[in-house]
Amino acid sequence: MNRFAVLPLTLTLVAVALSAQAPFGDTQSHAAAKPAAVSYLFPEQVSISADKPTPVDLHFKVATGLHVNSHTPRSEELIPTTFSLPEASGVRLAKADFPPGADFALAADPTEKLSVYTGEFIIHTQLVAAKGEHLVQATLRYQACSNNTCMPPHSIPVAIDVIAK
Amino acid sequence: MARKSYNEPSHETGVFDSVKRNVLVVAVVVCVLFLLGLAGWANWQNRKQLAAHQQAIANQAVLVADNGPTGEEVLHMKSPLVGKPAPAFTLATPGGEKVSLASYKGKAVQINFWATWCAPCKIETPWLVELEKQYKPQGFEILAVSVDDLDKDDPKLLAKDIAGVVKGAKDLHIDYPVLIDGDNIAKPYGDVDVYPTSFFIDRSGKIVAASFGLTSKDDLEDNIKKALGEGKS
Repeated sequence: MNRFAVLPLTLTLVAVALSAQAPFGDTQSHAAAKPAAVSYLFPEQVSISADKPTPVDLHFKVATGLHVNSHTPRSEELIPTTFSLPEASGVRLAKADFPPGADFALAADPTEKLSVYTGEFIIHTQLVAAKGEHLVQATLRYQACSNNTCMPPHSIPVAIDVIAK
Repeated sequence: MARKSYNEPSHETGVFDSVKRNVLVVAVVVCVLFLLGLAGWANWQNRKQLAAHQQAIANQAVLVADNGPTGEEVLHMKSPLVGKPAPAFTLATPGGEKVSLASYKGKAVQINFWATWCAPCKIETPWLVELEKQYKPQGFEILAVSVDDLDKDDPKLLAKDIAGVVKGAKDLHIDYPVLIDGDNIAKPYGDVDVYPTSFFIDRSGKIVAASFGLTSKDDLEDNIKKALGEGKS
């Protein structure tokens, strides 16, 4: 064999070897693809006045058949729904008004009323940002249940492109 | 006699070049073999991970949101662990005492995954307290495995978290052992992530039934009887 043919052959084998590193694809990401009980609906992008608290309504949806505790559950043991912004995001959460929870009782104990969100709910926030564009990854934390089961507390990312003019 | 030109390769230079080329070829072949070996090893690792992942999925019984089982369907979920030996574990009580499942051999045991923030658990627990009293003389025990989050990085917060579990158990009048840090054993029990969840273990250490979500006192009692060897299997 021509020795100069060794180089392309080597490159081909290297390419084959490297492509074999994940022959089944990224199984980890498939495992993490379980749908969340709450999803963020909109807005994905907002324009606000620079350096001034500006109202921004954030819309969320609780999956059918589930509920999450409101921001002010009736028992201190229950985990409230909370919303937060990372400190170094360039955007500050000046205010967050959560909607009041709706009364909900499990069929097995109609006397014990819970304060929950179901379906769509809106958090009325006021955001403050310096002039410029900021891609913010906020967090909504909640704890969801159905009529007869509960899931562990969970956080979802809330990505908002904040343009301050 | 003709003189050798400086541009004409000498015999020694030719041999040297040939050796250099051979060394280069051998080096390239060694590299290729190494990369192929690496690829083979990576394949083997991936296959191992995939097998573990598939096993975890096979063992899993979960409540998911849209497109998953509804709350009602969760109640009818089956655990693939039924009929198999209960995974061994050792957990601590809030007071720090170690409790292992192995020490309950010869008894019928219900492992009840619960949390202080779980409203259906609060409805179920009083039933369990009554059933434990009723069947204890026959050798039945309940282990209440709390899955409440524990902030292990901060001793003050950890103490607060543990105190919360103790208060929750006291409020519900739980008088059987409460174990903390239950997330540690959720995986071998099929990635438990709905609460309440219970596994019923017979005297030989085999899981004979599992229940997901708030069922009824009668259903719980039926499963306890199975664990005691009295019920329908």
